Amino acid sequence: MTDVDTTAPDAASVLAELERILTEVIGDDLLLDEPLSMATSFDEDLQLESIEFVALAEKLLDTYGERVDFVTWMAGMELDEIIALTVGQVVDFVVASLSGPAPAAGSPAEG
Amino acid sequence: MPEVEANGLRFHVQVLHGTETDGAPRPPVVMLHGLVIDNLSSWYYTLAHPLALVADVHLYDLRGHGRSEMPATGYTVADNVDDLVALLDHWGVTEPAHLFGNSFGGVVALALAHRHPERVASLFLIEAHFAVEGWGEHMAGSLALAAFGLDEDAVQDWLSEHADRKLSRVAKRSERFLTKTSLIDDLQAEEPITWLAEVAVPTYAMYGSDSDILDRARELEAKVPRCTLEVVEGSSHSLLTEQSALVRERALAWIDLQAR
Repeated sequence: MTDVDTTAPDAASVLAELERILTEVIGDDLLLDEPLSMATSFDEDLQLESIEFVALAEKLLDTYGERVDFVTWMAGMELDEIIALTVGQVVDFVVASLSGPAPAAGSPAEG
Repeated sequence: MPEVEANGLRFHVQVLHGTETDGAPRPPVVMLHGLVIDNLSSWYYTLAHPLALVADVHLYDLRGHGRSEMPATGYTVADNVDDLVALLDHWGVTEPAHLFGNSFGGVVALALAHRHPERVASLFLIEAHFAVEGWGEHMAGSLALAAFGLDEDAVQDWLSEHADRKLSRVAKRSERFLTKTSLIDDLQAEEPITWLAEVAVPTYAMYGSDSDILDRARELEAKVPRCTLEVVEGSSHSLLTEQSALVRERALAWIDLQAR
């Protein structure tokens, strides 16, 4: 668990964190013929098992906290869209979630 | 990795809640997946998130599956019901839950509704696979065939050389499950269900018109007193993934209806 920073992370740092998590989830079996990029797809390029994607999402939420509303994001997608997800889509979603408006005044402080 | 110790085993679980709360009560939902190559991700990719906007959704990998522990023995329906009861206790789900069952998960859901009706609010079954006369031969037969195929050295070599990493890992895990555990023996020993008429909770059952187990659909409709059956034209046993949008629409309507 990483402390939630007050400055929103940029795409490059989320991408680096996602690569670290991928290595943690898959281990040495991680298929990386070329460096992980925003265009890399989880299913086709990384051959990620769907159960491994579940683990990855869990660890992302552990890292970035509840402001990343994965449930609502995933609820708006069809099955084929989820299967076709790229690293860039997840990174952009995390960055957008964290750079959005801070929780409304009066809601419990984070951390 | 969220892991839970229940009924003496380690389970991979996921509990999903939406963040939007309008004060409406959020009923507990538990989703049960199918056999061998299936795991909680088939729910995670389809119904779990849409349902989590209105309910507290509990997912887990059944024993032997996904990222849960694979004991050598204990794969009867009754063992799976014991696991489910232990997990409900762990989650503190004491009010009756809405059970979603896909394929083999359907028989686990039905069996809980029969054994512990006080813990079940409703059943939403997709291609529920339960024991009728001759179930052992049908179910274990198709599994045994897969085991046989995967046992062949040539197939194994082909898989590691040509198949993508994902398929090969799924294949290896499935092979271990089928050949190193009592799964097939346990399923073959299952007695046909004789108590469907005693399942008292509201039940929605969906099957594909091209399903190889459409006889189960007719059996449920005839015997479960409060069962509504929908047969989806042109779909197979893989109804959940083939028609995920339709199934989601039905599931949301079902939960909404139960709250009235």
